[in-house]
Amino acid sequence: MMPIYETFLNESSLLFFILDQQGTIQSANRSAHKFLGDTLAGKPFESIVLDFYNTFDFDSFRQKENVVQPLNIKRRNGLPQTYLFKFKTHGNSIYAVGELDNDELETVRKEILELNEELSNLTRELHKKNAQLDALNQEKNQFLGMAAHDLRKPIGLILSYSEFLIDEASPDLNAEHIGFLNTIQKSCVFMKRIVDDFLDVSAIEAGEFELDLRPVNIGDVLEQGLRLNKLQAEKKGIALMVKKSPELPRLLIDQSKIEQVITNLVSNAIEHSPPKSQVAVTLTFDAGQIKFSVEDQGSGIPKDELDKIFKPFKKTSIKKTGGEKSTGLGMVIARKIIEAHNGRIWINSKVNKGTHVHFILPEKGAAHE
Amino acid sequence: MIDQDFYDNYFRALLNGDRLTCGKIVQTLLDQGIEIKVLYRQLFEKTLYEVGHLWENNKISVAREHLVTAITESLLNMVYPHLFKKNRVSKKAVISCAANEYHQIGGKMVADILELNGWDTYFLGANTPTDQMLAFIGDIKPDMLGLSLSIYFNFPALKQEIEAVNASFPQLDIIVGGQAFRWGKMPFLDDFKNLHYIASLDLLEKEFGINDNKVDSE
Repeated sequence: MMPIYETFLNESSLLFFILDQQGTIQSANRSAHKFLGDTLAGKPFESIVLDFYNTFDFDSFRQKENVVQPLNIKRRNGLPQTYLFKFKTHGNSIYAVGELDNDELETVRKEILELNEELSNLTRELHKKNAQLDALNQEKNQFLGMAAHDLRKPIGLILSYSEFLIDEASPDLNAEHIGFLNTIQKSCVFMKRIVDDFLDVSAIEAGEFELDLRPVNIGDVLEQGLRLNKLQAEKKGIALMVKKSPELPRLLIDQSKIEQVITNLVSNAIEHSPPKSQVAVTLTFDAGQIKFSVEDQGSGIPKDELDKIFKPFKKTSIKKTGGEKSTGLGMVIARKIIEAHNGRIWINSKVNKGTHVHFILPEKGAAHE
Repeated sequence: MIDQDFYDNYFRALLNGDRLTCGKIVQTLLDQGIEIKVLYRQLFEKTLYEVGHLWENNKISVAREHLVTAITESLLNMVYPHLFKKNRVSKKAVISCAANEYHQIGGKMVADILELNGWDTYFLGANTPTDQMLAFIGDIKPDMLGLSLSIYFNFPALKQEIEAVNASFPQLDIIVGGQAFRWGKMPFLDDFKNLHYIASLDLLEKEFGINDNKVDSE
């Protein structure tokens, strides 16, 4: 071979090999060493070919002289690379020349760029839609808040008058009319609860949820929170067992909101409990944390429905034992309140055994980060 | 104002294809509260023009130029959470690349600057066929159409596109811009009375007055 060709071959990016008749590499150019390894002489050509199924047959390749044949080559960096090879016999030697499949690389590059652009455009669209949804959600909350606020007063009036009539006018009314009044009163109580929950949720979602933090004894908060629950449990013939540590710390919390959570959680437990069963409430202080839990002996919640509990307006298939109605917002609000106090709330439940709801609050209350 | 050291580090990382370092620099600037417009003009636009210039002078390969564009495009995604929060004005724009034009990032940055100014934008991407763009304009009825051109040799396609838009929507304002115009504004542009050439993202606001509109709400 003329020296000038040798020089160019050595410097070119082509892979160039001289093989003997058995396919053993005799020598290789600089590119071949650079991409495949320093020691090539003496190795069989097939050792540089990726041959997953042991089907590579050197003889059949070398006999197709001047035919471009793709071969996957093991590069020294561990990555395979496709080269287009041609074989040529000259005297006792076989010359093998491999070049990158540039058309294939160009196609892949173009595809990747187009996919990247598409992905980027979709990401942009997604962010835009998210921003639009956020804006719509804010409008919805504003509307919900306004509607709930305006409904609160007339509902309060109907409730007051119906209670007044039940208390004052009952002797003059027949049983059917008293029944009507009781229905009006119960419906008003439920409507008021919905409206209150809507107001809470719209305030939370609008970022207007503010805590009135004061240092209070958590044991007192529990007692206050359970006042309504005790009556409720008595009416349903349920034993409300309360166990609390003798020494409980003062916490920096919003008393009315934590009371709201306790009342709500215990109320849920009572509503899901069969008559003559037991609801156990415990409040302890341990390792710098207040731990509250309420456990009922109700029908429990199926595992696949547990994730609905903390989602707005999602109700489980479990019916309350006294036919009480639910807004589907109570647990959402409870979680927001507990999390706003840097606490955590969770639920365990077993079908036909009952449900156990827990929350923990850090000793420093909402002041703790 | 972006510090020169920041710019140099970013530009070096960009040319080296170091997406992670570029991402860190952009994130640092975002954390420092950089104005999005400043980020676009002084980092993204400036580096892209500089890289384009290197490519035109055979200093870097086509593949390297594409890598730079792809990295920049992925960095725009970091900005989007901050981009669409602005108050809206009642204006709509359709932004597209001319037919046969595969460089979309300039057009996308124009769309983003419009979003920052409260416009609703519809970005159609690279190589949008003219008939599809006309149909989309008919549906959306935008206040403005933006056409981006990066490759000088695509001017004839741009001209045809403008003629087609002008024939169907003679009142529609059209803005054009992009790296192709660095070689000079083509005379045919003066034939269209609603056509405006915008030389940079900065001038998009200053000359075209896209931020003169009162926002709908605070």
